[in-house]
Amino acid sequence: MPQREFEITIGKGGDVELHVKGYKGRACLEAVKLFEQIVGEMKSQQQTSEFFEPEEHVQYHIDQRH
Amino acid sequence: MSAVCILAPVVIAAWPAFSAAVVAAATSLGYQIVSEAKSQGSSAAARKESNSVRLEIERSEVVTNQLGRDQRIAVTRNGVTVTFSRDARGKASLCVTGTGQGEEELRALGEELSQCVVQQYVYQKLMGEMRARGFNVVEEEVSEDRSIRLKVRHWEN
Repeated sequence: MPQREFEITIGKGGDVELHVKGYKGRACLEAVKLFEQIVGEMKSQQQTSEFFEPEEHVQYHIDQRH
Repeated sequence: MSAVCILAPVVIAAWPAFSAAVVAAATSLGYQIVSEAKSQGSSAAARKESNSVRLEIERSEVVTNQLGRDQRIAVTRNGVTVTFSRDARGKASLCVTGTGQGEEELRALGEELSQCVVQQYVYQKLMGEMRARGFNVVEEEVSEDRSIRLKVRHWEN
């Protein structure tokens, strides 16, 4: 199971700085969206180099036996 | 690291959640909760001599039912009383009253407390939502500048 990590700083006025770690590709946008729904409005967003790495894929192997 | 973002809080809360944030914020700043009877029982003479400032919490909406419209909570510290309530438009508002302070000082005290209320609201909401989703808070600390730092982990299938 991949581990995700979030560093959250709630400023004294309630602004939230969120660092999302452990995601590759656009999967992290879903995590950001979750926090946006919980906290409020997005003021700024910046993707880091890991964001542009190939997305994660989960492969399932299914054996069919007849 | 994948992404860094800044989120501005929006307070949309039912009265119990909002008043819980008021209690947590007020307590952390050394205020004491005033009972409802006391907050309504201050004499007219005392009110005449006091200054008061009314503020509202931006981007807020206190959701309530018909019965809860008159709900309010008051806190006090060093002769300053701050009463939180829901205004006619549904926004969270506060009235800061004191006898020995000017309007600027009362405004500053009100803004300090209202900011702390928003911070506590965000903290409590985040903690509740993260627990519900099985996120683990592995570190938590309050910095000197009163910001709250959390480190949270989650394992996904």
